[in-house]
Amino acid sequence: MASSIRVRRSGAIALSVAVVALTAAACSSSSSTSSSSPPVSASTKQTIVFAESGLGTEGQQTQKAINAFEAANPNIKVTVQVLSSDSTQYLATLEHDFVAGSTTPDVFESDVTYPAKFAQAGWVLPLTRFNVDTSQYFANEVKAGTYNGTLYAMPWFDNPEGLYYRTDLIKTAPTSPAQVVSDAEAAMKADKSLKEGLAFEAAKYEGAITSFLTVDSAFGGTLDPASINTPGNVAALKWLHDAIYVNHIAPAAVTGWQEGQVEAEFDSGYAAFSINYPFVEAQPMAAAVKGHVAYVPFPAGPGGTPGSALGGEMLAINAKTSHAQAAWKLIQYLCSAGVETARAIATGDPPSLPSAYTQQLYSAAPYFQDVKTLNNYSAPRPVNPNYLKVSDDLQTLFSSVYANSGPGSAAAAFTSNAATIKTDATATPGA
Amino acid sequence: MSRGTMTVTKGRPAHAGRPRRRRLARLPSPVGHARERSDRRLGYLLVAPVVILLLAVTAYPLIYNVWNSFHFDNLTYGNLPHNWVGVRNYTTIFKSSHWVSALARTLVFTVVTIVFDIVVGLALALMLHRKFRGRGFLRAAVLVPWAVPTVVSAMLWKTMFDPRSGFVDYFLGGIHPAWSSLTWVNFSVWRSWTAIFVADSWKNIPFVAIILLAGLQVIPNDVYEAAKIDGASWWQSFRRVTLPMLKPALSVALIFRTLQALLVFDVIYILTTGGPGNSTQTLSFLNFQTFITDTDFGVGGAMSLVLVILALVVSAVYVRALRPQT
Repeated sequence: MASSIRVRRSGAIALSVAVVALTAAACSSSSSTSSSSPPVSASTKQTIVFAESGLGTEGQQTQKAINAFEAANPNIKVTVQVLSSDSTQYLATLEHDFVAGSTTPDVFESDVTYPAKFAQAGWVLPLTRFNVDTSQYFANEVKAGTYNGTLYAMPWFDNPEGLYYRTDLIKTAPTSPAQVVSDAEAAMKADKSLKEGLAFEAAKYEGAITSFLTVDSAFGGTLDPASINTPGNVAALKWLHDAIYVNHIAPAAVTGWQEGQVEAEFDSGYAAFSINYPFVEAQPMAAAVKGHVAYVPFPAGPGGTPGSALGGEMLAINAKTSHAQAAWKLIQYLCSAGVETARAIATGDPPSLPSAYTQQLYSAAPYFQDVKTLNNYSAPRPVNPNYLKVSDDLQTLFSSVYANSGPGSAAAAFTSNAATIKTDATATPGA
Repeated sequence: MSRGTMTVTKGRPAHAGRPRRRRLARLPSPVGHARERSDRRLGYLLVAPVVILLLAVTAYPLIYNVWNSFHFDNLTYGNLPHNWVGVRNYTTIFKSSHWVSALARTLVFTVVTIVFDIVVGLALALMLHRKFRGRGFLRAAVLVPWAVPTVVSAMLWKTMFDPRSGFVDYFLGGIHPAWSSLTWVNFSVWRSWTAIFVADSWKNIPFVAIILLAGLQVIPNDVYEAAKIDGASWWQSFRRVTLPMLKPALSVALIFRTLQALLVFDVIYILTTGGPGNSTQTLSFLNFQTFITDTDFGVGGAMSLVLVILALVVSAVYVRALRPQT
């Protein structure tokens, strides 16, 4: 009896200890945190970790490209980590790895707005050591990956935002912002099935900044946080505001629209114009719309240049990795023309290399001819380590103007927020 | 009594006039003590995993957050040392006009939503307390919104407030054609708040109603009958009998709802993301932005601690104010 009790007690204690051990194991990070490993040459047999956000077709295409890379480089095995398709969660996971000093992921996908932040924190490897020839890539995405004159991230795919219009309703591309308004008004009069002349992202989120940026350079504006209160920026925001309240070509509902709703409005045949990303043309369209779509930079006004906003993804290397050579080899492969063309055909992700826009790509998806043109105009958002803070300031500013709340007019909103935006962009915290 | 761990001592009635009390005495027993110690050790060991887990997921982050709130810790500047900054993070908050505005909005939201939820919840509870056909079904049905996760209910309401495909404008359009395509979210401040209040109350009124219903069910019917015999009207019964006897249940509902309202985040994040401008930004939302968008764990930590202290103070005030009178 006593021995049975002892056995039961021992069992309970063992179980207890096991639970504690398992809890501790579960709480510990699976990633390596050593930074003292010597660099491993690309010819040595090794495994590298690649972190990405892509699920579905994008994830499958990445895996396909990696399989081909492994076949061509039998000594390098690549483990893919899908962190999250949600950008906030993706960034948070990466940051936790970096703060913990993890050596993995060795190579990772980065939004075009992140490299400056990563570089400032010392989390990414400068790519200058690899003697990269960036002249082959679209210059604007190279700018997004360059911080303080040093390249930290390679352009992977380049998503320019531009102006869509219905060619059955608008025969020639508008040549000025004023003509966009008059064409939209004429189209709304001519076709009663239209619900609006223009659809654009005006919800309080990152897309509100890219839709503004698409219009901004047409008015001679630039999104420089140190000097945000310029006549060009004010004119661009006023034009978008007036599209809702003065010209009535955009509905009040745009204040809640993100790119998905804008795409649905245009592809359903409810909008004559829309400001959006290239993915719109790859979506199912109403019969009246299909085959009647053009995609152009936003037309320039006096003193401006045709406008487009840069979106897209880049590839960077963890500063703590000991597999920098192998990681760079993978980046070179994924950012090569043939691989980018195949990805564009399979997923619709526009290549970052002009040479990847081939006849094969145009045969599969003719709209990439328009996308290539837009890539020459796409303006990057501010390359600033505090961009997320600046972005929040700008989203708040735009949102209050689109809702006619806060300071009121576009000019007043820029005037009252300029100092805060400048401080948030340039202030170095006192450590 | 084979183990002899305790015996009953029968003594002289030492306290005359008082009820006789049995006194338990413990005999010294080394075997018993050893067994007791062993049992205690086993007990500690068995609860250890849970205690360690709780400490790991609650106490450690809380203490670390307190530490953070007195240090510089911003992930954007992850390469800078986490130096001691004293109360600078706290002064940053109190000097921030964003934080002060968010505090005012949070307090107004809390007061308005609590008054509305308690009044409507009480009316619902009184209705469900009456006898009628289908009462059981209705009581179960009322709980459904409360059982739906807030994120899901907020998404549902976002869809219902959509000016193109939502039910709200379809319904209002039936009343007046001009109301058939109102833009609710992020177009005007008061409409955005209306959407938030509706979504929040739809989810939380059932919670209040069920707690108050439980309180109503323990009020004895005799009291109402006595009041009726004394000629009390319905209103007098409600005011003099129902409300005082419902006080414990009301206290629970008030404390829970006030804390939930003070910490409101998810419904705002889903519906308005704090817009238009910053007009629907609350303390928790601002705290989220400081932590996640700005990755500033120093100021974010200080902000969250101030919020916790605010919630504790409000709870303490409630507990004191609603304490049963003795």
